[in-house]
Amino acid sequence: MTATMNSLNSHQYWESLRTKGFCLPQCQACKEFHFYLRPACPACGSAEIEPVVVSGRGQLYSFSVVYRAPSAAFEKDVPYVVAIVATDEGPHLMTRLVGVKPEDVAIGMRVSVKDWRTSNLPTEHPSIGQAPPLFERAIS
Amino acid sequence: MSLKTGSRRQPLNAAIVGIGESTVGRVPHLDALGLQRMAAVNALADAGLTFADIDGLLTTPIRVENWAMPCGVVSEGLGIQARYLATLDVAGASGVAMAHHAAMAVASGQCETVLCVAGQNMLSFQSRGDAVQKMADAGWAHPDFEAPHGPLVPTLYALAAQRHMHEYGTTPEQLAQVAVTMRENASLNPFAHKKDLISLADVMQSRMITSPLRMLDCALVSDGAVAFIVTTPERARDLRQTPVKLLGHGYGHSHTYIGDYKNVTTTGAVRSGQEAFAMAGLTPRDIDVAQLYDCFTITVLIELEDLGFCAKGEGGHFVQSQGIGLKSPLPVTTHGGLLSAGHPGLAGGMFHLTEGVRQLRGQAQARQVPKTEVVLVHGNGGIIGLHSTLILGKG
Repeated sequence: MTATMNSLNSHQYWESLRTKGFCLPQCQACKEFHFYLRPACPACGSAEIEPVVVSGRGQLYSFSVVYRAPSAAFEKDVPYVVAIVATDEGPHLMTRLVGVKPEDVAIGMRVSVKDWRTSNLPTEHPSIGQAPPLFERAIS
Repeated sequence: MSLKTGSRRQPLNAAIVGIGESTVGRVPHLDALGLQRMAAVNALADAGLTFADIDGLLTTPIRVENWAMPCGVVSEGLGIQARYLATLDVAGASGVAMAHHAAMAVASGQCETVLCVAGQNMLSFQSRGDAVQKMADAGWAHPDFEAPHGPLVPTLYALAAQRHMHEYGTTPEQLAQVAVTMRENASLNPFAHKKDLISLADVMQSRMITSPLRMLDCALVSDGAVAFIVTTPERARDLRQTPVKLLGHGYGHSHTYIGDYKNVTTTGAVRSGQEAFAMAGLTPRDIDVAQLYDCFTITVLIELEDLGFCAKGEGGHFVQSQGIGLKSPLPVTTHGGLLSAGHPGLAGGMFHLTEGVRQLRGQAQARQVPKTEVVLVHGNGGIIGLHSTLILGKG
C-alpha cells in the first residue's frame, strides 16, 4: 500500500458532487465505499480514496420529523424530515427527505437522491457553500 | 469486532470518600466557578477534609463561559496546589470516567487525594434558545455531513428511538414511563431541579420536538455543579464516611456520529458493561441500583438492554412490566436523573455517581433502596456511542 498522505478532502468531495453527480467515497485499494468522508478507509486503512458516482438509491433506515428548528436558518423549513438512508452501495448517511408529508414517511421505503443542481433547495449551509444532497421518494 | 474482555485489568485500589452538590436548578447569582466551589466545599465537609488535603484535580470543559484551560481555572479558583491535574472530556461519560482517572492517579501513587469537580451556569447564563442552538452547532452532528440537514441534538437520539420502535415495537408509553419515574424519584430529592409529579399523559401530550421525542422525553437544562473525592484506602480509613470501593470499570465506543452507524439500537454500552462486570467478577443480577444515564428516555431503554438487565429489544417491556421505580426489582437513577434532577452539561453524569455513593452509604433518605450492596453507574456520551460503566461496592 502506498503511504499517500494527501487524503481526499471535504472540499474536493463536494466539488465532485457538483461536477459529476452524487458520489460516495470509495477506497481504491479494497473497493469498499464509506461515509462520512475520512482520511483513510475504515475497512483497510488505505488513504487512496476517490469520489465515485453511485446509484443514489437506497432505503429509509430511520427518520425524525423536526418541529423545533435548531436555529433561525432552519425555521422556514419546519416541519422537516431528517433521515438516515441505507444506500444500495452499503454506507448509511444522514440526509433530509423532501417532497413527502411527515405522516407518509415510513422506515423501509425506497428513496433516491434528488438532483440538487436543478432544484430549489430548502437550506444552503454557509460552511459548505452549497446544499448537501437531499433524498426523495424513489419513483420505481 | 472481537471483545477481549478485561483479561489483564484489575480493580483499582482507591476509594470514594466525599460527595457534594451545589444548589441545582436556576442559580443566577453564581457563575461556573462559584457553583463548583459550592459543590467542592460540600464534598470536602462530607469527607472531613479541607482544600489543603487535595493534591489532585480533575474537571471537565464547560460550554457557557470561555475557559481556555478549565483545570487551571478551577485549581487556581479553589486554591488547590495540585501534583496532578487534568481537564477530562469523554462527553457525557466524563463523570464516570473521572472516577476511573482519579483512581488511576491515586492507585499508582501520583497523588493521594483527588478532587473531581465540574458544573456550570448552563441555564441562567444563556436563553434556552441559545442553549439549543449552541448544542446543535457544537459538533454532535458531523459539521460537514450531518449538521447542514438541521438536526437538533434530540433529533440524533430520535433517530435511534424511531428505529428501536420499528425493530422492537417499543411504544411512546414505554418511553414516557421513564420520564414519569424519573420525576417521581426527583420529587423525593431535595436538590432536584424539577419536583412536580407528571403523568404518562403529561409526557405524551407535551410538545413534539423531534418525533418520536417530546419535550418531556428530553433532559433539562440546569445550573449546577457536582464534586466527589477519591483517595487511597489507607487515607480513607481516617475519614468521616464509610468508603466506597471501585469494583469494576470499562469503556466502550461503538460510533461517533449516528448517521453512518449501521446498528443504532445496539451501542458501546455492551462492551463497557462486559468489561466492568468482568473486572468486578459480577453479573447484572448482582446489581441493586442502576444509575443509568438518561439524557433522553430512549437512552435508558437501550442501556438496560446493552448492559444485560434484559434482552435486546425488551427495554420498553421491562420498564412497563416490572417498572424501574424505587420499589421495583431494579431501581434506576434514583435521584431523578438528567430528565428531572438536573443537567448542567458534562457534570450531569456525576450526579448519578454521587447518588450511587449515597445509596451504598444508606444516606439516600426517602429514596433509599434497602440492602444496597452493589451499584452500577453508567455514563453515555455523544450520540449514544461513547460509554463508561462503573461498578461500586461498600468499602
